[in-house]
Amino acid sequence: MVKRFPASALIGGGFILLLILVFMLLPLAIVAAASVTAGSFLTFPPQGFSLRWYGEVLASTAYLGAARTSLILATAVTASSVVIGTAAAIALHRRVLPGTSVLAALFLSPLVLPTIIFGIGLLIVASIYFGGPSLVALWVGHTVITVPYIVRTVAAVLSDADPQIEEAARTMGARPLQRLWFVVLPQARAGIIAGGFFAFNVSFDEAVVALFLRSPGVETLPMRIYGQLEFSPTPAVAAVSTLMILLTIVLIVAIERFLGLRRVAG
Amino acid sequence: MPHSLRPAERGAGAFGESILLIGPGAALLIGAFLFPVGQILVLSIVPPEEGLSIWTNFARFFEDDYYLRVAWRTFRLSVIITLVTAMIGFPLAYVVARTPRVVGYTLLLLTVLPLMTSVVVRTFGWIIALGRGGPVADLLSLAGLGARDATLLHTETGIVIAMVQVLLPFMTLTTLGVISTIHPHLEEASRTMGAGFYRTLRHVVLPLSVPGLVSGSLLVFALSISSFVTPNLVGGVRLPVMAGAIYQQATSTLDWNFAAAQSTLLLAAVLGLLIPYLALTRRRHG
Amino acid sequence: MSFLELSNITKRFGTFEALRGISLSIERGSFVSLLGPSGCGKTTLLRIIAGLETPNGGSVVIDGSDVTRLPPEARKLAMMFQSYALLPHMTVLDNVRFPLRMQGSSSTADQRQRAHEALALVKLDHLADSRPRQLSGGQQQRVALARAIVYQPRVLLLDEPLSNLDARLREDMQIELQDLHHRLGLTTIFVTHDQEEALSLSDRVVLMRDGAVERDAPADEIYDDPGTPFAADFLGAANVLKVLVEPSGVRLSNGQMLTIGQAPKNGEALLILRQEDLSLGEGTLSLDGIVEARVFMGTRVRYVVRVGDDTIRVLTDRDQSAQPGDRITVGFSPERARWAR
Repeated sequence: MVKRFPASALIGGGFILLLILVFMLLPLAIVAAASVTAGSFLTFPPQGFSLRWYGEVLASTAYLGAARTSLILATAVTASSVVIGTAAAIALHRRVLPGTSVLAALFLSPLVLPTIIFGIGLLIVASIYFGGPSLVALWVGHTVITVPYIVRTVAAVLSDADPQIEEAARTMGARPLQRLWFVVLPQARAGIIAGGFFAFNVSFDEAVVALFLRSPGVETLPMRIYGQLEFSPTPAVAAVSTLMILLTIVLIVAIERFLGLRRVAG
Repeated sequence: MPHSLRPAERGAGAFGESILLIGPGAALLIGAFLFPVGQILVLSIVPPEEGLSIWTNFARFFEDDYYLRVAWRTFRLSVIITLVTAMIGFPLAYVVARTPRVVGYTLLLLTVLPLMTSVVVRTFGWIIALGRGGPVADLLSLAGLGARDATLLHTETGIVIAMVQVLLPFMTLTTLGVISTIHPHLEEASRTMGAGFYRTLRHVVLPLSVPGLVSGSLLVFALSISSFVTPNLVGGVRLPVMAGAIYQQATSTLDWNFAAAQSTLLLAAVLGLLIPYLALTRRRHG
Repeated sequence: MSFLELSNITKRFGTFEALRGISLSIERGSFVSLLGPSGCGKTTLLRIIAGLETPNGGSVVIDGSDVTRLPPEARKLAMMFQSYALLPHMTVLDNVRFPLRMQGSSSTADQRQRAHEALALVKLDHLADSRPRQLSGGQQQRVALARAIVYQPRVLLLDEPLSNLDARLREDMQIELQDLHHRLGLTTIFVTHDQEEALSLSDRVVLMRDGAVERDAPADEIYDDPGTPFAADFLGAANVLKVLVEPSGVRLSNGQMLTIGQAPKNGEALLILRQEDLSLGEGTLSLDGIVEARVFMGTRVRYVVRVGDDTIRVLTDRDQSAQPGDRITVGFSPERARWAR
């Protein structure tokens, strides 16, 4: 058998790959390492090992408050964008409406339009018409940027589903609402769950729209971390960041279980 | 045979039902997405004082050396970032596509993980890594490329390194989408015709990957010129980029009209890149 | 008026005319096949009966009431799909119960009872709690069948239900379908592109071609007397010879003259000869030809024989042997000859 890849390609390729992986994971690994330092300053490599900075974070009302805001926000965003996004994905999948492809493009456009432009637009609208930014404005903004994820994941599973099943349900006497409930929603289930995790993750981690919609008394975790980074961060920031990385890993595993990342990424 | 669901055949109820389903989302996107973006366009042509031309805000941008330098830096850095990402992203995508599933999948997972962590967290990692005493700066001084105690914070090199890591997944995923449609038989055929592995890569795989590399580059460039969290935190106040300047004006100096004008310019640039990007990717999927 | 009346059904997809005015009357309790090559419109016609497509013209009347504009869920029919269309998230029992549940006409206990009975009818009651994906293709097929018969539909529609099964299972299923039809007496319409399936299952075959009915007759009659060259070809790969009818007899393209009774009026005509009605060697009537190919098919052998400008196929027993290149005689008896109309 002829070797598909020459040895030089295997070794060189392996080496390049290793470098790339180190490069990709380096910042996350450094943050995690810096968080367990026993010292008082942010250093790499860490000085000794201790969890004192985690203790510090868990005792800090500012961090706990930000975490609470982030959790409430991400939960509300997940709920609203799952409902709105799933309904839209079903309508788009059916292709009954005129201009379905234009509508589909509209629903995916927040994914490609830079968040900074959306952020400033939202800030202007909130200020002119709604008396300034607020948590509600942030909720609406995050819903806009997470709806495309739901539309994508739900549309992906629906297009894999057997279209004859819904027809079969019709011939068996299922009326529109019954078909939605008994056929379409179960078919979309994996996409809804995976999209929901996505939406939660995006909202929980989102910094740009949050920074634009900064308002008194509203601070999410990414906003707080950004504020700390502008001055001189302590190892406590590293501890919070590490917790956020862990949450992301948990969500990725969940998405992977329900849908498979390749389908979402591709 | 006409098997598929045909729009007209779903009955009269299907239309009303679809309107109900898409209604909330359409309302949200029109009211909270298109309207705010449109609002930027409107504000950008409102002059600071009555009676001035609608181009006043734009003129201010083009007549001020400071903003032109910021724009030039943004453009230059984005070009470099895009080139570096393409050079790293292509081999990575090829390996992901051609290694055994499990390996490729793990690679993909490890590439996507940083993409899904918060941008502030990733940037934080680079602040430590690039700063004084950080591993990257240490490595450079070991290699004789920098003084002891050197720092890459507040340098353009630092911005490029951090941004490449942030944007590499976009390049890899876009290129992977194209490479995975190249049938391995093409490479095998090339090998049987006497081309070695590297020549096959150069003459078969690379040319066929060009659409992916082009659309990946357009996407990365568009994201690069419009990002501000990483350049702001790594580059600091001495090295502002356009998006950072917009952020400052919108939230600190509250000069919305001027910020809107700059956003409009940025939006025009991004749309100029994203429209060909979407056309390219759609042709591939369609 | 018959139980199911289709009158002058037309259907266009864009510029493509899928159905060009189909009229059919189907009696209660009959088993009718819609047969034809792919693209002939048979599935579209079935979907129009089901209500999944709306015709551009014509009407569908079931049991005296016009259902042309009625959505499928209001028609009280059952349709079995090529993909079986089982709901993957429900158990086998819940799948079979689904139509009863949608119509909500009886208690849950009663629905379960009836679903069990339907499953027992297809001998799958022991798998009631399984999920569809745990079943084999043949078992899924039977679940779909149980689901179709569970609520005594007015018409049972089958869309190529056997095409995803292997040869053995297909035979078993054919027997099962016939058996169920006899027991339940459901009016059944069966779409297939397989002529053997159509002939063996149904008591009436509607052969379709390019959106129109080519031939509509009882199965045995359509086989014995296909009537058109297309039907002859489609229903059993019969030979169609272009001949000239003269006062003295029938002239073949190689100049041979044959004497066949009930020949049509003088002039050009098409003579239909079934492959299995021919044999090698002299018969009451004989054709002279040269063997072009010999195809061994297990119990039988097929010869391809050139007779003048025509190529005919002969299906014979194994013991008759000739080799390519041999000059031979093909014999048949005149009463087996048919004329195309």
